[in-house]
Amino acid sequence: MLFKLAWRNIWRNKRRSLIVLISVMVGLIAIVFEDGLSNGMMRQMLFNQISLDISHVQIHKAGFNNNKIVKNYIPDYKHVESILNSTPDVEAYSKRVFAAGILSSASNSSGVILYGIIPAEEARVSVIKSSIVEGNYLGSDKRGIIIGKKLAEKLGVGVGDKIVAMANTLKGDIGSDAFRIVGIFQTSSSEFDKMAVYVNAGTEQEMLGIGDNYHEFAIITKDYNNITSIKKNLEAKLGSKYEVFTYRDMLPMLIYQMDLYKESMMILNIIIGLALIFGIVNTMLMSVFERLREFGVLMAIGMKNSRLYLMILFEAFILGVIGTIAGLICGLLLDIPLAHSGINLSIFSASLESFGVGAVIYPVLSLGNIFNAVLLIPFVAVIGALYPAYKAIKLEPVYAINYV
Amino acid sequence: MEILKAENLVKVYQDNGVPVNALRGINLSVSKGEYIVIAGPSGSGKTTLLNLLGALDKPTEGKIYFEGEDITLKEKKELSKMRLHKLGFIFQAYNLIPVLTAIENIEFSMMLLGIPDNVRKEKALALMDELGIKELADKRPNEMSGGQQQRVAVARAIVNNPTLVLADEPTANLDSVTAGHLLDLMEQMNTEKNITFIFSSHDKNVIDRAKRLIILKDGTIEKK
Repeated sequence: MLFKLAWRNIWRNKRRSLIVLISVMVGLIAIVFEDGLSNGMMRQMLFNQISLDISHVQIHKAGFNNNKIVKNYIPDYKHVESILNSTPDVEAYSKRVFAAGILSSASNSSGVILYGIIPAEEARVSVIKSSIVEGNYLGSDKRGIIIGKKLAEKLGVGVGDKIVAMANTLKGDIGSDAFRIVGIFQTSSSEFDKMAVYVNAGTEQEMLGIGDNYHEFAIITKDYNNITSIKKNLEAKLGSKYEVFTYRDMLPMLIYQMDLYKESMMILNIIIGLALIFGIVNTMLMSVFERLREFGVLMAIGMKNSRLYLMILFEAFILGVIGTIAGLICGLLLDIPLAHSGINLSIFSASLESFGVGAVIYPVLSLGNIFNAVLLIPFVAVIGALYPAYKAIKLEPVYAINYV
Repeated sequence: MEILKAENLVKVYQDNGVPVNALRGINLSVSKGEYIVIAGPSGSGKTTLLNLLGALDKPTEGKIYFEGEDITLKEKKELSKMRLHKLGFIFQAYNLIPVLTAIENIEFSMMLLGIPDNVRKEKALALMDELGIKELADKRPNEMSGGQQQRVAVARAIVNNPTLVLADEPTANLDSVTAGHLLDLMEQMNTEKNITFIFSSHDKNVIDRAKRLIILKDGTIEKK
């Protein structure tokens, strides 16, 4: 009966209860939407980085990451290849030659990272092939090169034009080679598009004078959630001559940003919760003062203060639960279609691309954060009712009964 | 058998810092089965006395013994328990819970006692039948007349078989015919169930039916 009484008390002033419900709903929708959008943006930044050049795991000669020079190539790439081929967690890998150099056209030049790749292998670990917007992906043409759209604009070149690449060789002198642009790519990261160029591995190996060696293995695993155990496994198999890095090791700022985001979500939830608390305190106070006479009667007929207190908290809790359910349904109805269609933020595309995020954000709902919000709001509603309930039970029955 | 005894009750209110003597040394003894009316003009202290006897308020001075125990020394929690088990209240403005139906209002105090749902429903219906208000069972207070609401209030007051029912001007908002029916009902409860009633009223209909009349004037008993 206490539930019945609380339930009916809520609906005796429908407009007021609806205002509270709507504020709870809006709070929850905001949490779900903000969470989905930020989570989606973070994941996109991470997956874009992974699929551009970072991949899940990278293997180099020990020390390469701190000193990316030509001579730091992998000592025995065939040994690494055989280990990777026998590791079931590995989905695909690409061997890369790596050199920092300069790319020059007739009108301009720019510092670049020159990746030497085996095109078929690279197509399995990165999105470069699918990011070609003009011309073709790298084929068997030894003089072919693909460059980013931003770089092409800077150098004033297009598909079919000739450019010259220069980089330090193993001997320490400057090696150079002429290439013809076969394709132009455009990824979600404008910074990447300004820096990265791809040629055939054999050509670059020849230019750098490193024989048939490679600097890097970029690996895509079957389940990136097990990345730590995969890393340990590879480290154990490869020994100390090699360094194994996961995307978490290679993108510390992004991982830090993602962790920070989780904490900022908690702060946002607390801010929304505080706003709701004030709304609920206000509503419950009005509701309590409207019913002082009734509370006096309830006390007179023998209702204990603790029960009266519980009844008022129960009313707030019910409001919180209904608001949460309704808010969650509305939030999901808004977010689920957007998770498929994405939110087109092309008006901010320049700034989003500089962060490595595409112009279309696909919200990703984080069950953990939604679960926290679902738990938080009814709890917040109860907190909001503590003071009004305390005010109610502090009254003397005789004063409450005669309250006008 | 004496169930209630008041000794030298004094109640002083503060009205904007000015002390107001509502009761000035009331001595009273009530026996089981009595039907008492406390009468007197407005401001004589009738409601104040009833509130003190019903443990809704505490006296400034004096003692109140209910079934031999000094209730002025009891904690809020104990007083609440005593009101639930031993007392029934009928108010001038009926004071039913507006969101509950008539039967739920009657059941409410039984619910507080922890009586199971089916038992309390049965008991409430039987009492409503006895008081001739069974057809009001599913009506909410705003769907009932004043007389009907006060009958439901009587049912709520007596459903737990209280030792004492305190009725504060129960007929003040009723017409004389309805008031007469209500008083018949309470007299019947007093006679048949031996429930003790104490009324406060300045209604002649109520005063005329008193088996014992106490007249208050300026916070003192003028006539017993």
